[in-house]
Amino acid sequence: MVKSKTADKEAVVGAIDARGFHPKLQAACSTCSLSQLCLPMGLNQADLERMDGLVTRSAPMHEGEHLFRVGDEFKAIYAVRAGTYKSYTVDSQGREHVLGFHLAGELLGLDAIYPERHLCNAVALDTASVCVMPFGELRELAGQIGGLRAQLLRLMSKDISDATALAGDFTAEERIAAFMLGLSRRFEQRGFSPKEFNLTMSRRDIANYLRLAPETVSRVFARFEKDQLIAVDRRSIRLVDIDKLHQMSLCMGEMHS
Amino acid sequence: MRLGLPHLMPQAGVVIVDFDADLIQRYDCSGPRYTSYPTARQFESHFDPERYKQEVAKSNDDPVPSGLSVYVHLPYCSSPCFYCGCTRLITRDIQKVARYLDRLLQEAALQGRLFDGDREVQQLHLGGGTPTMLTDDQLSLLWEGLRNSFHFSAKGPEASIEVDPRTVTPARIEAFRELGFNRASFGIQDFDPDVQEAVNRKQDATHCLKVIEAAKSAGFDSISVDLIYGLPKQTLAGFRATLDTIIDARPGRVAVYAYAHLPQHFKAQHHILEKNVPSPGTRLQLLALTVELLARAGYEYIGMDHFALPEDALALAHGEGSLQRNFQGYSTRAGLDLVGLGLSAIGHVGRVYAQNAKGMQEYGSAIDAGRLPITHGLSLSDDDLIRADVINRLMCYHEVRYQDIEHAHHIRFFDYFALELRHFQPLVDDGLLQLEPDRMCVLPRGRFLLRNLAMRFDAYLPGHLSGPVYSRVI
Repeated sequence: MVKSKTADKEAVVGAIDARGFHPKLQAACSTCSLSQLCLPMGLNQADLERMDGLVTRSAPMHEGEHLFRVGDEFKAIYAVRAGTYKSYTVDSQGREHVLGFHLAGELLGLDAIYPERHLCNAVALDTASVCVMPFGELRELAGQIGGLRAQLLRLMSKDISDATALAGDFTAEERIAAFMLGLSRRFEQRGFSPKEFNLTMSRRDIANYLRLAPETVSRVFARFEKDQLIAVDRRSIRLVDIDKLHQMSLCMGEMHS
Repeated sequence: MRLGLPHLMPQAGVVIVDFDADLIQRYDCSGPRYTSYPTARQFESHFDPERYKQEVAKSNDDPVPSGLSVYVHLPYCSSPCFYCGCTRLITRDIQKVARYLDRLLQEAALQGRLFDGDREVQQLHLGGGTPTMLTDDQLSLLWEGLRNSFHFSAKGPEASIEVDPRTVTPARIEAFRELGFNRASFGIQDFDPDVQEAVNRKQDATHCLKVIEAAKSAGFDSISVDLIYGLPKQTLAGFRATLDTIIDARPGRVAVYAYAHLPQHFKAQHHILEKNVPSPGTRLQLLALTVELLARAGYEYIGMDHFALPEDALALAHGEGSLQRNFQGYSTRAGLDLVGLGLSAIGHVGRVYAQNAKGMQEYGSAIDAGRLPITHGLSLSDDDLIRADVINRLMCYHEVRYQDIEHAHHIRFFDYFALELRHFQPLVDDGLLQLEPDRMCVLPRGRFLLRNLAMRFDAYLPGHLSGPVYSRVI
């Protein structure tokens, strides 16, 4: 079969698969602009073309659609291709805990490798899609490509360190400043404006993720706006004084997910 | 920038109005008043209340959810004013009013629980009908009910009530203030007894002035007077006397509405004889007189039908850029989500307009079944939002800075409106507006033709409007 030359021209390779992705589309890492984000460093063109053979692309998912749920069998690692996903768990009391927000080029499902089941849920926050990398094949390929192996380890390590970032005793202002700068940096890496972006996550999700009350999130956003650090128009955010935000968030470091 | 009336040039006590009668007559046609865009005519019937609920939920999820503006429609009147085009019901049965109030409070509870607890009511407006037909006890019941269903701050919202002078005494006005109302608008229309007789609204000028005075001493922040020109039997001399009297009373705001004679749409207007309605020429003179007298008395022209003293919040909002067109005319605050309660009331949350049932039976049965009585509405497209923004700026600030629109909506103004702008040359030639490199600016001659300018951006108008569907521009 002929492989597409660009990321946006995929060939249909099968009907509905077990995960409900239909149609299953062939993706091409070798021409994908996001490959530098999800598979950076060390992969030469030949390696990337080998990746092409195992990666497929999901159909677009709508807001509120789940990529996987807790307990689902672990089959693949996912790379966000477009849109935003939220990962979260629900405790025995039924309370939701937001673990992170995942933008294009970021991986989902790494935490499921060991238990071979997903330990969290992943849901699309807007129209979103992923690249699917079946883990068996990925592991095999990682055995052959040193750069890929190193990258997987790096990303897993980053996941662990991110998880500890919020544990400290930080103020609401510090948390929100760090959160926004984190987003800003991630948007910039993706070729979007680091100063102006839309928040695809709700204030409830942001609050939950930052371990704050939703009212507190709004109060801090409103205060930042009053102090001319940011400008807010519903979901649209403009960072006005990045330096000041940076000072506020220094003690926390940046947030990555 | 504050926009006064630069074309009114005081010369030794005489104010000359650059009022080009030919021009205005040439542009006089039917057109919407753009209290919203798209206008209520575009609302779809059988609009799903779930769509409204979704939009409210979404608005709760904004990083900084907007404050709320609550409009409460009280449709009952004890007698019909013949000019009226509002949704209203005539009754003297106070039980009916009590039953309606009961449902209104149930509706407030249904709506209130959709909004997060920290979404503060920043504006409250009681319109009608005749809100002051409610007794003091009923009004206080309504206020308490709203406060139980929605979040009021300690200092309370900017709260206004439409007052029918015939239903109040100075003591009642004080009671309104104590309850929490801090703005009042008085329905005066015209003091001329012949006009009052012709429109079935007889109210003694001395009493009206007494209650307006009472509102002033009770400490209302803003007092507004509504007048209407173009009413049957109206004369220049009579309306001049009314204007002089009102100017003496010096309310912060004066709204002078044009009477729209559309008996085919508004049943009560059948009582008004076509032959008694002033000619277009007289209407124009009435408007010119109004503008001249108010300007001379120091009122600024806000836009459309509204005038305000420079120290009034409306004029201040105009200067500060926080003015917004709304269903009551103009609002001092932009960016609030609007909750409409009561018969035919319109809400506007995020990208959705939602209108309640216009018939009491339909309204009542929805409430009794515990459902929101929303029957009509519209989900706004990106195009609607862009055009609404342009029209709002024209209506409120009489100018549109291209960059503001481009920035807010990620479009290129001249590309997006290429088709519209192709037909702007006649407007420019007529001196209605000026196309500058960075902005489009309404010139003094165009100020009274804002609707005509707005209509150029209305995608729902098939070419040029004609026919008696809308009220006349002037």
